[in-house]
Amino acid sequence: MTAALLSIDRLSGGFLGADGGIAPVLDAVSYDLMPGQLTAVVGETGSGKSLTALSVLGIQPPAFRRTGGRILFGGRDLLSLDAAAMRTIRGARISIVFQDARAAMNPVFTVGRQMADVFRLHHGGSARHAMDRAIEALGRVRIPEPERRARQYPHEFSGGMAQRAMIALAALICQPSLLILDEPTTGLDVTIQADIMTLIVELCRDQGLTACLITHDLGVVAETCDAVVVMHAGRVVETGSTEQIFTAPAEPYTRRLLAASQLGEPV
Amino acid sequence: MSDYAVLQVDKLRKIFPLAGGRRLHAVDGIDLTLHAGETLALVGESGSGKSTVARCVTRLIEPTAGDVRINGRSIRPLDSVALASLYREVQMVFQDPNASLNPRLSVRQVLHEPLRLHLAMPRDKREARARALVELVGLAPAHLDRYPHELSGGQRQRVGIARAIAAEPNLVILDEPTASLDVSVRGQVLALLRRLQRELKLAYFFISHDLPVVRHMADRVAVMYLGRIVEIGPTAEIFERPAHPYTRALIAAAPIAQWGVKRDRLRLAGEIGSPVDPPDACRLVGRCPLEQPSCRTAEPALLTVANGHQAACPITLGQSATLGQSALDRPMPSQTAA
Amino acid sequence: MKPLAPLEGLELAEAASAPGATIRTRRRLRLSWSMRIGLGILGVYVTVAMLSVFWTPYDPLAPGVGDSFLPPGQDFWLGTDRLGSDLLSRLMTGAQYDLGITLVAVAVALTLGTILGVIAGYYGGVVDVVLLRGVEMFQAFPGLLFAMLIVKAVGPGVLNIIVVMSFIGIPDYLRLARAEVQARRNWPYAEAARMVGNRAWQVAFLHLLPNSIGPVLAFTSINAAFVALITASLGFLGLGLSPNTPEWGNMIARGQDAVMTGEWWISFFPGLAILGMTGAFYLLGDAISDLTDPRRRR
Repeated sequence: MTAALLSIDRLSGGFLGADGGIAPVLDAVSYDLMPGQLTAVVGETGSGKSLTALSVLGIQPPAFRRTGGRILFGGRDLLSLDAAAMRTIRGARISIVFQDARAAMNPVFTVGRQMADVFRLHHGGSARHAMDRAIEALGRVRIPEPERRARQYPHEFSGGMAQRAMIALAALICQPSLLILDEPTTGLDVTIQADIMTLIVELCRDQGLTACLITHDLGVVAETCDAVVVMHAGRVVETGSTEQIFTAPAEPYTRRLLAASQLGEPV
Repeated sequence: MSDYAVLQVDKLRKIFPLAGGRRLHAVDGIDLTLHAGETLALVGESGSGKSTVARCVTRLIEPTAGDVRINGRSIRPLDSVALASLYREVQMVFQDPNASLNPRLSVRQVLHEPLRLHLAMPRDKREARARALVELVGLAPAHLDRYPHELSGGQRQRVGIARAIAAEPNLVILDEPTASLDVSVRGQVLALLRRLQRELKLAYFFISHDLPVVRHMADRVAVMYLGRIVEIGPTAEIFERPAHPYTRALIAAAPIAQWGVKRDRLRLAGEIGSPVDPPDACRLVGRCPLEQPSCRTAEPALLTVANGHQAACPITLGQSATLGQSALDRPMPSQTAA
Repeated sequence: MKPLAPLEGLELAEAASAPGATIRTRRRLRLSWSMRIGLGILGVYVTVAMLSVFWTPYDPLAPGVGDSFLPPGQDFWLGTDRLGSDLLSRLMTGAQYDLGITLVAVAVALTLGTILGVIAGYYGGVVDVVLLRGVEMFQAFPGLLFAMLIVKAVGPGVLNIIVVMSFIGIPDYLRLARAEVQARRNWPYAEAARMVGNRAWQVAFLHLLPNSIGPVLAFTSINAAFVALITASLGFLGLGLSPNTPEWGNMIARGQDAVMTGEWWISFFPGLAILGMTGAFYLLGDAISDLTDPRRRR
């Protein structure tokens, strides 16, 4: 067995209440992301799937208090790192794509400029060179007329286009070893969603990226992911290969979730 | 049973004027018929105009042209008093149960309102009926004292459903009723809607972008793209023998939570076009892999594919006639499952 | 090919077990310090105003109850003015005028402005344009200048001042209520209210207004502070009530010469009274907007 790139080890924690108590939301969450694989973390609202992923990047909500556990990335515990060390990991080694790409971009700078700035931050070089890389990345995610698009502002992008640009930024500009995708296609139309998922799978394969897809939708998982982690109410319910989860789910919750997701589909 | 269709939509058009004399054709001449006790789904992506149809049909917004008949009565000439009485017959369940419940009203107040205003029930009768209603939608009488923020998303949607059926309409418009719910709750709410349809003999006009849900719920499906109906037919027909390239692409793209599904790979290029001043051409021009020069010269009309199944694509339909069904014989989406 | 059986069995389970079923949250009104201080000060003003109707140490209108220009002391706690009237008695009675005018004017402006604002915001179209243009013309004049012009035209008197002050307030309430209602007009709950049989006016006033009133109410205290200041300013400029009326602005005007010669108390105490009242209103305004700002709730 190869070693996991990222290993979440019994992560527990909760939200600090007004009375000083901690309302638990994560209960000994453990899962591994294997190098080169696309792993889905699936769960409904309140399952803790996003919170766990945000903790990996150290960008969890301020009210969250960890009560135990480790997050090992390439053998190092991310939770023991100071803010400066974490900054060198965030973006350069681990990057994230959020649900609402347009909200995640700065509205007053052009898309190309924002991507070029991030490129220079991580790799240095001239502004000209960085802009060329940005345009190249936009082309790689199949945005038509990348030169013209790079000069546009986020509000001139449709939701699907903005998400492509976000993926270009997170995967191609940052060149991380781990890419976290937090509900990247939620809120997009199904045809756009299918295109974006195809793109994600292609990029991960071409770049040899390890990726973690956080989603509530088992439908997008079946055709795209290698492994699945099912979460419910702050716990990991079941982990396994995608085939195993879909064809032989072991836990009742997984079976229920699967049945609910397969509504209306011929079996 | 009346002789009329519950809902009859004729050449409905809603055009929003824009700055500079341009016109946004949100709904561009559609015809629909919905019979008593039936579920007709209107499927489309954002920008297709499906929500505008729902609001025109209830005159929450004014249609630009065309006619809408509910139980045989045209809604276009109704004044505000007559409109209020129309809402006894047609009700709506909204997408976001957070936004469709007044945060200051308790569940009791929400349910009393239609009973008082539509049915003019005295208070004690209203209370009894409100209790019956909450139980009908799977809540407890104790929920009557709750406020929306004290309920879960699924419970709020149940309240929205109870409100819609309170005045005993025969047509309920479901505007993406499960789009903002978790999958497990989604199944429960859909089961509730089906049960109510059976028990109360409701006709559903089901607006949705979610194909699995539509397949689960609808008797017939109408597919909408940029203000036009591009295909309409019985649910099984649409899903098993889709004739329009857009329908095929939509079905091909719908996520399926199953292992090893073989599916149609028909993909459209680019993103949805603009509904502003559309040219006299097929609205899928520029995106469609089957496009022919003739697609750019006229807007295709709905052609009959089979009994009750129509599609607005002369290319696929012409091919199937002349080339011995080559286009339609391709293994169609999702059915050849493991 | 048959669809999977839906989760019928779970249906009631969800209804019973969801968190909302057991935990009842209750919105608790926690009084902030600014709220408590503001309310406390206003309480004193109201008490004094009511008390002054029945009792003051001396007759506030009578001249010569003591010598002229007596400094604050044992017999006359706040001293006497040029005519030998008791300053404390006048100050107490003044609360009736300044507080009364302010409260009534604010109530009238709040009511009329909100009603017009809800109409403009809900119905939109021509009604909205007409109301909004009217308001804009109105607001082109600075408030004090406008008040001066009108009072000059219609003459002084408590009622006239109230009318003028209300008029100055209406545009702000109208704009606020209009913006709030307009933002909610197309919300699904407004559409739903329509569909359960409410007439348009019922949707506007019974459903949208209660949800829109927060920022409008928060504004009342800012408006009250403003009205109190303008009322006193009119008095000071001699445009308000008749010169002998113990209104605080009048009283400051009456004492302003004496300040130069060292009799500071005649203008000082009415000034302090105005400062205290407007300050209390501002404190309340802060506290109310904190309460109604959704970002600060919870």
